[in-house]
Amino acid sequence: MKPLRYILLTVAALTFIYPFVWMVSASLSSEAGLGSLTLLPIGASIQNYMTVFERIPLGRAFLNSLFVAVFTTGLVLLSGAMVGYALARMTFRGRDAIFYLIIFTMTLPFQITLIPNYITMVKLGWVDSYLALIVPFALNSLSVLLFRQAFAGLPQALIDAARIDGANELRIIFQILIPNILPTVLTITILTFMGLWNEALWPLIVIRDEATMTMPQLVTLFSVGGRADGQLGVKIAAAVLLALPIIILYLFFQKHFIRSMASSGMKD
Amino acid sequence: MANVQLNHIAKAYAGGPRVIRDVTIDVKDREFLVLVGPSGCGKSTLLRMIAGLEDITDGDLLIDGRRVNDVPPKDRDIAMVFQNYALYPHMTVFENMAFGLTLRKMSKVEIKQRVEQAARILEIEPLLHRKPKDMSGGQRQRVAIGRAIVREPKVFLFDEPLSNLDAKLRGQTRIELQKLHRQLNATMIYVTHDQVEAMTLGDRIVVLRGGDVMQFDTPINLYNHPVNLFVAGFIGTPPMNLLPGIIQQRNNRLTFDSQGNTLQIDLSKSVHHERLQRHVGKPVILGIRAEHLTDAPTSGDRPFFSSEQLPFEAIENMGNEALGYLTIEGIRIVARLTPDRAATLSPTAHITLFWDLDKVHFFDAETELAI
Repeated sequence: MKPLRYILLTVAALTFIYPFVWMVSASLSSEAGLGSLTLLPIGASIQNYMTVFERIPLGRAFLNSLFVAVFTTGLVLLSGAMVGYALARMTFRGRDAIFYLIIFTMTLPFQITLIPNYITMVKLGWVDSYLALIVPFALNSLSVLLFRQAFAGLPQALIDAARIDGANELRIIFQILIPNILPTVLTITILTFMGLWNEALWPLIVIRDEATMTMPQLVTLFSVGGRADGQLGVKIAAAVLLALPIIILYLFFQKHFIRSMASSGMKD
Repeated sequence: MANVQLNHIAKAYAGGPRVIRDVTIDVKDREFLVLVGPSGCGKSTLLRMIAGLEDITDGDLLIDGRRVNDVPPKDRDIAMVFQNYALYPHMTVFENMAFGLTLRKMSKVEIKQRVEQAARILEIEPLLHRKPKDMSGGQRQRVAIGRAIVREPKVFLFDEPLSNLDAKLRGQTRIELQKLHRQLNATMIYVTHDQVEAMTLGDRIVVLRGGDVMQFDTPINLYNHPVNLFVAGFIGTPPMNLLPGIIQQRNNRLTFDSQGNTLQIDLSKSVHHERLQRHVGKPVILGIRAEHLTDAPTSGDRPFFSSEQLPFEAIENMGNEALGYLTIEGIRIVARLTPDRAATLSPTAHITLFWDLDKVHFFDAETELAI
C-alpha cells in the first residue's frame, strides 16, 4: 500500500505545482514559446516583465497594497483583541447576543453587503481614497471569534494578578494576555493579511484613480482591460509579480501558514 | 501594616442566592488569619472581595479604617498569591516581580533593589532570569510570594497557595510561611481547605460553611471548644468521633445512652453534669477525640468510662502513635492506643477502651450547637 500512497501523493503534488511552474516559465518565455506545455522557458527573456513595468505603475500599486494590508491588519488585530476580550472576559447585558450576531455576519457572503457598502462609501465621500480600502475591513468577525476563544482559554488568575498589580484593561489585553496567545495572533495576522492582499473585487468598485489602486486591482485591470495588448506573456508576468509577495511570506512563515489554515478551517 | 474589618459582608451573584450571607470579621494588625472550610463554603469569594476582584453586595470592608468597597484592587494596598501562582508566562522572574512596581512608576534602581531583596529572602536569586515554565512548582510558588513581597503591601492575601505542591514541599513551605510572617510583620489573610494548614499557620481561624461563619477563634480554642458539630468534625486529625444518643436520668444518675443502647455512659461525676440537666430526654450527639478514647485510663482522678471489650476492625501503627478503628452501632470510631501495646495486638483484638469524660463534648442533635 505504501508505494501506491506515494505515487498518488506525488501525482497530486505535481498537479498542484505544475501550473505554477508553467506560469513562471511562461512569463520568462518569448511570446512565440507560449503555445507548448514546458518546464523551462523557451527563448528565455525578461522582456515581459519590462513591459509590465513600462505600462503600469506596479511599484506604486505594490506600496498601496502593502500600506493597506499592513495598516488594516493592524486595525483588525487591535479591534479584534478588544472586542474579543470584552466578549470573553467581561459580563454585561446582551453579551452573548452580540457575540452570536457577530458570528452570524460570518455567514453572509461578501457580495450581499457589496452594494450597501459601496453606497456608504459614496455617501461618506471616501471613493478613491485609502479610507474606502481600510475602514470597511478594520473589524472582522473571524478575528473577534479567534481572539474570544483564545482569551477564554487563559486562566482568570492571570487577569486578577495583573489587576492587583495595577494594570488597566488595555494593559491586561496587550501586555499580559496577547503575549500568551501569539499563535492565535499570528493566525489572524496571516489570514487577514492574505485576504486583504488578494482582494480585487472591492478595490475595483471603490477605486478609479490609478495612483490609489492596489496590486490585484491594477493587475486585473491590466490583464482584462486591454492594456496588455493581448500579450499573454505580459499578463502572466503581472500575475507572477502579484503572487510573489505572498509566496515570499509563505516561505518565511510556512509552519504558521499551515497552522493558520488548519485552525481556521477555511482558506481564501 | 494594617487591620482589616469586614462588617456584615454579603455576596450574591446577579439574581442568585447569597453565597456569603453575613460575615463580620476583624483582622488585627500583623495577624495571620486563616479562612478555612470545605469547597463551596465561600472562603475564596470572601478573599476575592477583600482583594477587590469581586464586588461586595452588602456590608462594609475597611482596611486601616478606610472603607474600600468601591476602591479598585490596585489602590487597596494589598498583594495576592494565587493557587496556580498566576505568574506571567512570558516574563522572567525579575520582570514578574517588577511588573507591579513599574506600573507604580517606581525608579529602576529601587525596583532592582526591592526585587533583589525579596529574592534573597526567598532564596530565588539564581532564578531571576528564568521564565516560569523553566521552574518547578515550588520555585514558582516562591516567585509568586516574591511578587507579593516586593510591593510591601499593607495586607497579604493567599488563596490556597500550597495546594498544588506535593505533601513534603507543603510541609516545608508551611514553616517558611510562618517565618516569613514574622520577618515581614505583615497582616496576612490565608484561604485553605486544609485544616492542618489552618491550625499550624493561623493566629486565628475563621471556619466557614455555606457562606456563614461557623466559628472565629484561635486554633487551640477551635480544637478544644468547638461551638457546633460542624467545627467539631472539621477541625482535628483524625476527626472527632461523633455518636448520637440521648441523655437519660435514672435513679439520680445522669447517663448518655447511645442510640442503639450499646453504651450507657454515667455522667454523674463529669463536668458536664450541670449543663446536661436541661437536656434530659433529648437527643444529643456525643463527641470525643481519639486521644481521649484510649487503651489506658487517664492519670489523675478524672472520671472515665470504660467500654466493654470491643473488637477492632483495623489498627494503624505509625510508631509515634497508633490508631485503632472500631464500629459502634454502625459508626466508625477511632481510638488512640499506645504504640508499644498496639504492636502486640492482633488487628482484630478485643480491648477495653477508656473514655475521658471531662474531655467529652455534647451537641444538641437538633441545633447542632455545643451544649
